[in-house]
Amino acid sequence: MKKANALPEDRSSLSYKAKRLFKRNWSGWLLMLPGLLLFLFFVWAPLAENVLLSFSETKGFEAVGFNNFENYVRVFQDPMFTKALLNTFKYIFWSIIIGFLLPIALGLLLSEAVHFKSFFRLGIYFPSIVSGMAVVIMWSYLFDPNPGAVLNQLLTALGLPVSTFLSDPDLTIPLIVVTMTWRGAGGTVLVYLSALQNIDNSQYEAARMDGAGALARIWHVTLPHIRQTIRMLFILQIISVFQVFYEPLVMTSGGPDGASVSLLLLSYQYAFQSFDAGASAATGVILAVIIIALTIVYLRLSTPKKNTVSRKWRKYAKKTAQ
Amino acid sequence: MQKRLRSKTSGILTAADYKKAGFRVVYSLILLVLFVAVLTALIPILWLFLSSFKEASELTAMPYHLFPKVFDFHKLAEVWEMLNFWKYFLNTIIVVVGAVICSVVFNGLLAYVFAIVKPKGYKVMFALVMASYMIPALLSIVPLYREIINFGMINSYVPLWFMFGANAYYVIMFKNYFESLPKALFEAAEMDKCGKLRTFFRIIVPMSRPIIGVVAIFTMTAAWSDFLLPYLVLNDDSMMTVMVKIYNLQATMGTVQGFGPDKLLMLLTISIIPQIFIFTIFQKQITGSAAAGAVKE
Repeated sequence: MKKANALPEDRSSLSYKAKRLFKRNWSGWLLMLPGLLLFLFFVWAPLAENVLLSFSETKGFEAVGFNNFENYVRVFQDPMFTKALLNTFKYIFWSIIIGFLLPIALGLLLSEAVHFKSFFRLGIYFPSIVSGMAVVIMWSYLFDPNPGAVLNQLLTALGLPVSTFLSDPDLTIPLIVVTMTWRGAGGTVLVYLSALQNIDNSQYEAARMDGAGALARIWHVTLPHIRQTIRMLFILQIISVFQVFYEPLVMTSGGPDGASVSLLLLSYQYAFQSFDAGASAATGVILAVIIIALTIVYLRLSTPKKNTVSRKWRKYAKKTAQ
Repeated sequence: MQKRLRSKTSGILTAADYKKAGFRVVYSLILLVLFVAVLTALIPILWLFLSSFKEASELTAMPYHLFPKVFDFHKLAEVWEMLNFWKYFLNTIIVVVGAVICSVVFNGLLAYVFAIVKPKGYKVMFALVMASYMIPALLSIVPLYREIINFGMINSYVPLWFMFGANAYYVIMFKNYFESLPKALFEAAEMDKCGKLRTFFRIIVPMSRPIIGVVAIFTMTAAWSDFLLPYLVLNDDSMMTVMVKIYNLQATMGTVQGFGPDKLLMLLTISIIPQIFIFTIFQKQITGSAAAGAVKE
């Protein structure tokens, strides 16, 4: 009896479609839920709240009313913010000078080494395993301005004048970058190494057949192959400069007189030293916009384009053949 | 030395080049530069180890001596006992274990859905995860801190554990790995009417030991070194982790009786030892995946 009463389901009806959609997908969404909730709690909600906070008048850490762009205006008028912004460019400049070419060169050398290869690899990577806080405290002791401290005695022994290191406004950012590079370069070297090891050996063979010398091989085979990696790591490095925080926090507190303050540190200081949550949020939002823009560039670059390398190579091969 | 160069057949320079003396000189230079690089990497840590056994006055003594007058291992025990360091070590281990579990389970599940289950609309979520790839957690620290207060999680390890469950980098690493697994496996599981969660734990997890290991090791080191959130969340001294305690001691140097810079250096040495330990055990996984993780999307 029951069977006769049941209507055959209309497969094109909206409710059927919705039901099917639900049936096929609910379990997937259920599995995603815990992860998404964590992202919501730790990343997305704070980011969104930060945007709201940046347009609000704040008392302590609470928003008490909308105040338009006032926080942004206040932040832009703060000489400390101008300093932090300028410092960001200094950080970028020094991190390119000190930290960009070095890993490429080391990666190249490492890929050519036959002897002690794993010793070199482990040794160069070693600083990366030490925790950031320990590294930063360790280097602030190495950069002790006391004339009797290790580096100053070394300078004296070399006949150079003693240095105040981190207290010298001209040196503070380069030295912080040295610290960052010392810890971070090893990981970057390994990335280059693996890119270099992926180069098809037949291309080197072909270049050699054409009589290409060692430098020509590097220029026409090696570099085009790792150009993509270089570009990506370049962007990654710039992003990491915008994330500078622990180094100035521990080594200099942003000093002397703001000479090493970074945007992230400034945002933190607005919040937990001057308890100005609005200014902190505005700085955070400005940073987030910059970082997201750079991330998009990075992700674009990391989706590989096909055949660019071999096309370049073919062109070169044709040129030398003529 | 010559023998191994003669058998080098790949790379920029090969055996054919090394027949010439000039290239053999170049090769010695390559080795020299690499040695210098390794020394630069290791000497500061060596300096730290040696200095931590020195007296405070020895640190700036003229003329400089690299080695301490005496290697007194009692000093290690003394610093350890003076600060009751077991407590902070144990706290850190609690944080690390919880973080590793959260990191593997939550990021793994999310990546499993992104890579294999792919329900309708997952792409939006994936894009959101990717967009926050590079956003440092402390960028919106005020709202996060407020949330944690509102949930009553100050002086609790819960936020420190769960924070590692929302890490875009680990999600991507898992996703890349899951996508490389043979498709036939999941199809077979689906035929057997095996639930999605069961497929994950019965089929994916056993096949993904290498990547689980890598993420676990990464999380272990990251959680061990984590500082800012633990610093803000753990106000109670008895709850603090090693890194928070060390930072506090560093910031209040001179106010604790009998605690000078030499003892701080000893603490740094102590804090590095577990990391060296983990590194020596898992060096292959760590150096292997450090390269892979950064490039692939």
